[in-house]
Amino acid sequence: MTREEVFSIIKKNILDNLEDIEEDEIDGGKSMKDYGADSLDIIEVVSCSMRELKIKIPRAELSDIKTIDELTDKFMEYIK
Amino acid sequence: MGEKIITQVEKNGVATLRMNDAATNNTFTDEFISGFIQCLERIEEAEPKVLILQGLPQVFCAGAEKRNLLDLCEGRILVKDLLISEKLVQVPFPVIAAMEGHAVGGGFVMAMCCDIVLAARESRYGVVFMSLGFTPGMGCTTLLPELVGPFLANEMMYTGKRFKGRELAERSTNINYILPRKEILPKAKEIALRISEINRKSLTILKNTLAARKKKLLIEARLQEDLMHRISFAYPETKKAVEELYAGQEEEEK
Repeated sequence: MTREEVFSIIKKNILDNLEDIEEDEIDGGKSMKDYGADSLDIIEVVSCSMRELKIKIPRAELSDIKTIDELTDKFMEYIK
Repeated sequence: MGEKIITQVEKNGVATLRMNDAATNNTFTDEFISGFIQCLERIEEAEPKVLILQGLPQVFCAGAEKRNLLDLCEGRILVKDLLISEKLVQVPFPVIAAMEGHAVGGGFVMAMCCDIVLAARESRYGVVFMSLGFTPGMGCTTLLPELVGPFLANEMMYTGKRFKGRELAERSTNINYILPRKEILPKAKEIALRISEINRKSLTILKNTLAARKKKLLIEARLQEDLMHRISFAYPETKKAVEELYAGQEEEEK
């Protein structure tokens, strides 16, 4: 799976879980918090994405992640 | 900072109890549970006609505390949260749950114990017990089907998913109103005002009659839930799940 495909899965879950946001607004360099996500929204986006990608990453490993790009990279490590 | 629970009883008989513990997101610490019960007792003494139960704008109530859950895993303490459910169904006036923010686990069960329930489209509602490895408590197994219907209740309990209010609005639940967050308190106050026009004695009689069913459901739930807890809290997987999940959440909230 390419990085782009992983990014688009995360993007789809962001759109499903956050209000008032358009797909082309989502910038990988930003945090979900910049788009109004709170901690429960983030948990939902991350867990839905992992489920779709069939990967499981311990929460402790995800705690330092700041941006959507960093999340995508972390997912890529587990997909390879 | 300020007080963790703020209560008020207006002259017209409308009481409010605001769970205001921002430091813990209204988590059931021992202190919070005993404070909550004391506040309800104080309100009861003032003999109001109706109570609006509210939380913080972002979080209505987050439910159980990690330390308490770990103690349960070790078999050290009994579940105290149940006191909250019991007290809520016993008060002699109708209670309106005005949930502007998220309500999770026992926090959502609180709403199930109320008479009229309002939820926000933007907030999340879920019973996450099973995600942590143990079976639902506080009366969830019998009260949740009443609020959202039996099959959605099954889905919520088996998956632990925290549904957005707007998702629940698309399903046919028994939640009275699912509104944008900013409309929750005005709507709750409007309902309370109507109730406050009724005489208190008749309200008390009706409440006692309507609550009888809920009390029965709670007793029924307790028989099963206590037993399931004794079994499921003892699983090593449960302790691991509690430690992991909460560790993650604490980090994410930083």
